[in-house]
This record gives sequence, structure tokens and C-alpha cells, in this order.
Amino acid sequence: MLFFRGRKKRRVCVVGLDGVPFGLLKRLAEESVMPRTAGIIREGGLRKMRASLPPVSSVSWSCFMTGANPAEHGIFGFTDVSRDSYQLRFPTFADVAVPTFWDRLGERGRRCAVINQPATYPAREIPGALVSGFVALQLQKSVWPKTHLSALERMGYRIDVDARKAADDPDGLLDDLEATLKRRRMAAGYFWKQEAWDYFQVVVTGTDRLHHFLWKAVERREDPRHQRAMDYYRRIDDFIGGLWDTFHEGRSADREGEGFMLLSDHGFSGLKRDLRLNAWLHDNGYLEYAKEDPASVADIDPERTRAFALDPGRIHINARERFAGGCVDASEVSALREEMAAKLRALKFEGEEAVAHVFTREEAFHGPKQGLAADLVAIGRAGFDLKGTTKGGEIFAESHFQGMHTWDDAFLWTLLPVPESPDISEPAAAILDWLTQ
Amino acid sequence: MPKGFTLWFTGLSASGKSTLAERVRDILLERGMKVEVLDGDEVRTNLSKGLGFSKEDRDTNIRRIGWVCHLLTRNDVVAVAAAISPYRAIRDENRRLIGRFVEVYCQCDLDTLKGRDPKGLYEKALNGEIKNFTGVSDPYEAPEKAEVVVNTASEDIDASVNRIIATLEQLSYIPATDGRGYNEEEEESIKQRLKDLGYI
Repeated sequence: MLFFRGRKKRRVCVVGLDGVPFGLLKRLAEESVMPRTAGIIREGGLRKMRASLPPVSSVSWSCFMTGANPAEHGIFGFTDVSRDSYQLRFPTFADVAVPTFWDRLGERGRRCAVINQPATYPAREIPGALVSGFVALQLQKSVWPKTHLSALERMGYRIDVDARKAADDPDGLLDDLEATLKRRRMAAGYFWKQEAWDYFQVVVTGTDRLHHFLWKAVERREDPRHQRAMDYYRRIDDFIGGLWDTFHEGRSADREGEGFMLLSDHGFSGLKRDLRLNAWLHDNGYLEYAKEDPASVADIDPERTRAFALDPGRIHINARERFAGGCVDASEVSALREEMAAKLRALKFEGEEAVAHVFTREEAFHGPKQGLAADLVAIGRAGFDLKGTTKGGEIFAESHFQGMHTWDDAFLWTLLPVPESPDISEPAAAILDWLTQ
Repeated sequence: MPKGFTLWFTGLSASGKSTLAERVRDILLERGMKVEVLDGDEVRTNLSKGLGFSKEDRDTNIRRIGWVCHLLTRNDVVAVAAAISPYRAIRDENRRLIGRFVEVYCQCDLDTLKGRDPKGLYEKALNGEIKNFTGVSDPYEAPEKAEVVVNTASEDIDASVNRIIATLEQLSYIPATDGRGYNEEEEESIKQRLKDLGYI
């Protein structure tokens, strides 16, 4: 390691790789697909990290940016359910109930430049600049302050790939991924120079999209698109290497790498079957619909439904104290939870257990919003993607996706002091300490 | 379904409790709710007249405000309390009494508060002219489980108000409106994006 002299002020640069599992990053580094990343992680600091429960980007990235548990920040998934109507609602950045660590850095006079952070739409004021990521819709509402909007428009900045076309046109997806990454890199270069930042963050979400649609191309050498998938990773590696070089030109640390961070928000694995939890609940007598072709959980029959599921593995008990149409007494909730958890743990597909973990609300969530959380959060074994769809009666269904999110194999590389086996809410404190000491 | 609840703003003097309470009150009134604000300064001129700033008197003051909030809440009124309420145990006592209770912690660093100091109180307290001044010569116990934490030093007031309203909507204490979240068209686009990636 190099040691620097004449340190200027401390800075942090974080590169987020959405949905990149620990094992894949390590392998791509070892196999020289990602030589710059290999150089960074060579001397230690790489560890597995647990994603949020459930392991989806909106929750995980909210944990990262607040350093808080979902029961504190209030984001439990891409969807919430109304207590009165069971209609789905879609949380926004304004639903995040605690300050982000960017806000906290602002209190200490530090500035941030954050690009493509999921779960920050519509963009709001942060101390510095923010470009929202998924599920951002319009660029105009994704940029704060608006003074940066025209520059992003000029460079043809893309929020995301067009996932609608991806399933039918895998080569088009790869083109789209490359083009989007190129613009992301241009935006990173722009903010690097334009903003007087102390904290810089850019998230690559294309990795998640690649894995959803083309996981086999990533995993299998014989896949016809393997080389293109690896080329995409080579470009990401080049992006990381470029940021590393520029970061160190500024001598932001006492020793090389300090203040630089790489992480993912969840892992990924191949997919065998979707596990449709609402079909399973219906099959086991816990759920009845009021309509023949239910569009969502708003179409359950509340009087005959004891439990229903939201994506990806969140099971809510239809308790009287919780939902306006609830039919389960408070005294029955605990036993019902245990019964369902035991059945889920024993659930098999062709002799193979499908569910790895079932967490109770109290095990998974800690904070004032615990009462809003699902009663159970189930995590599938690799290959079994838990779904909250109300479509289809089959419990195990084939999917056009090739990959699925995993919980306990996200990764973190940092030289800052973090627990040996961290979860995604824990880097925030280390970053805050480092920048404000 | 009961309609009443208590929204309890806590934080140091000049941290923005009254300002935020008024802004939130206006929004709730616009939405057709019955709202009463119990502002700490005003309460001390009537309900708690004669009480001083010893711990015992402070606790009595906060218990009285809590009791009134309890009565309002159970009668389907939204009670908005804005009081320094420095001691966690008494705030939690009120939480237990009232049940439908949402705590908003107005966080603000002392330097910013000294800069604001609309009544010149911090200057006097720092000069020793006022004794038992919370945050200077008397303790303030920050909430550990506030439903909302707003930082009034760094956060735009609209952003703070939005987060408070969003939390009330999320807790189903007030009905959600299209105005603050996504409109119908945006919601359809979000649904489609989530479907495209298998997230719903």
C-alpha cells in the first residue's frame, strides 16, 4: 500500500453495483474480467454483506442511505398496502421517515454528489446534488438542484434501460446497458468536476437488469452472450478504475483506498421457479378472493382471508387491529404466524426445499414503524423467487426471468471500520465518522 | 375507525416546533379534519400558569398537555402539541396514555439555534441570565423512537412538512391523497416498471 503525505481534506467515493453478489465479484476479479477491481480488493477489505429484508433495491438502498432499519426509515418494499382498502400504494422518497446520512453530512458542512441512487424519486434537496435512480420516471423530477438538468439532457442521460423490451430482445438489452452505462459515466464525470463534494456516490443499476434477464450469460461460458456480458463487466471495471485513479489524484486519504468503497445492495442467483405465495396461501386455506381474476390483494375477500402476501416475500396477517376489514383476532396472530412459518419451511418443489428463512416481524424489524411491517418475511432458497402476485393458481411457476435476488451475499469492500459481517445499514455510520472526525 | 390522534412535536427552543405544527395544522384543516394546536408557550399562560422550570414543574406541564391531547384524541380531534418536552419518560408516558400518538423530533444543532434565537433566550441563558434553560443548562433527552425526525437546520421546511404528512398517511391516520404521492398516470408507469422487472 502507498502512504500519502500532505493529505488534503477527507473525501469518500462510493460505487454501488446493484444486485452483484459477493461470489460473482470475487470470481470476475480472479478471472481477470475485472483487473482493476481485483487490484483494489487484493489486500483485504472485501466481505459478504446482508441485504435488507426483503432484499429489494428500494429497501436496501434506503437502509444504506439512512443507516437505519426499515421500521425506522419506513420503506418496506416497492409497494405498501392500505389499511382501509387493501389497495397498493407506491412509496416515494418523501416516505423515508428519517434523514439520510447525506443530510447529516450537510449539518456538518459537507457536500454530497449522488448519482442514480434508487428509492430517491422524486429528487429533493440534499446538501449537494442528487440524481434519482429506479423507479424514477422523468429526468426533470429526478434532479436536484435543477441547474444540472440541462447538462444531463445534453449528454443524453438515461435513468434506466428499457426493461419492457429486454425479455424479447436480449441483444437489444445489452446495447441498451452499454449506452446507459456510457451516459452514467459521463454524468459521474460531470458531477465530479461540477460539485465541490466531500462525498461522491454513483450506482450502476445495469448489473441488476443484466442478471434478471441474462443471468445464464453471466454464469455460463457456453452461453452465446457470455462474452458480451463479460464485456459489460469489463467496462464497469474500467469505470471503477477511472474513479479510483481520479480519487487518489486528490489525495483524499492517508493511505491508498481509504475512503473508497464498493458495494452491492443484494446478491443474485439463477432462477428455477417463481414461488407464488398468494397461490400457496389460497391452497392452504388462508386466502380467498372476492373476484375470479384478482388484479391485486385489493381483490381479496377480507372476511375469509387470514393472510395475504406482497412482493417479494412479505406475508401480512389480516388482523382486526391492523386492517379495517381484518378478521383475525390479536390473540390468534402468534399461533397463525407459527403455523404458516412451519409450513413454509417444509414447502418443497420436486423434493427440494424452497424456503431458506422465515423471519417474524420482531426478528426482522426494529423501530417505531414495526407495526406497519409484514408479519412474516420469507426468503427463498437460491432458485426459488418468492412472489406476491395474485395471478395464477400454480404455486411453483416458470418465469421468463433468468435470475433472482438473494439476501445474504451482497458484498462490501472498504478499508473503513465496519463489522466483519455487516448488513447494508452499517456502512453509513463508518462513512459519517470518517468524514466528520 | 377512530379519526383522532396526537401529533407531538418535541425539540429545543427555536427548533421549529411551532412553525411546523402550524403548517401541518393548516394542511389537516384543509383536508377537513378537526385540529387543535397546544403550543407550549401558550399553555404556560393558561393551563399551566404558575408552573416554573424545575423538573417537577416541567413534568407536570407535559402531563397536562398530554391529558388534554388524550381527551381530544378520543373525541376524534387531531391534537397537535408543540412543546420542548425535554424528558423522554414523560413523553413516553403520554404515548402510552394516548395510544394514537406520533412523535416528531425537531432536531437542530445549538449553533443554528443560537443564530436564530428569536426571543434572545439563548443569549441570556449563555450569559447566565436564565437558569434551567433546556439545551444550555438543563438536559434534553432526544427521542429514541420518534416516528419522524426532521432536521430543521439543514432541511427545507416543505420537505419536513411533506415527510410528516407522508408518515401520517403511511400510518393511515389520515387518508392518502394524490397531491403528495404519485398521480394516476405516474402510478401506472411505476406499476409497469415494477412488472417489467418482476417486482410486482
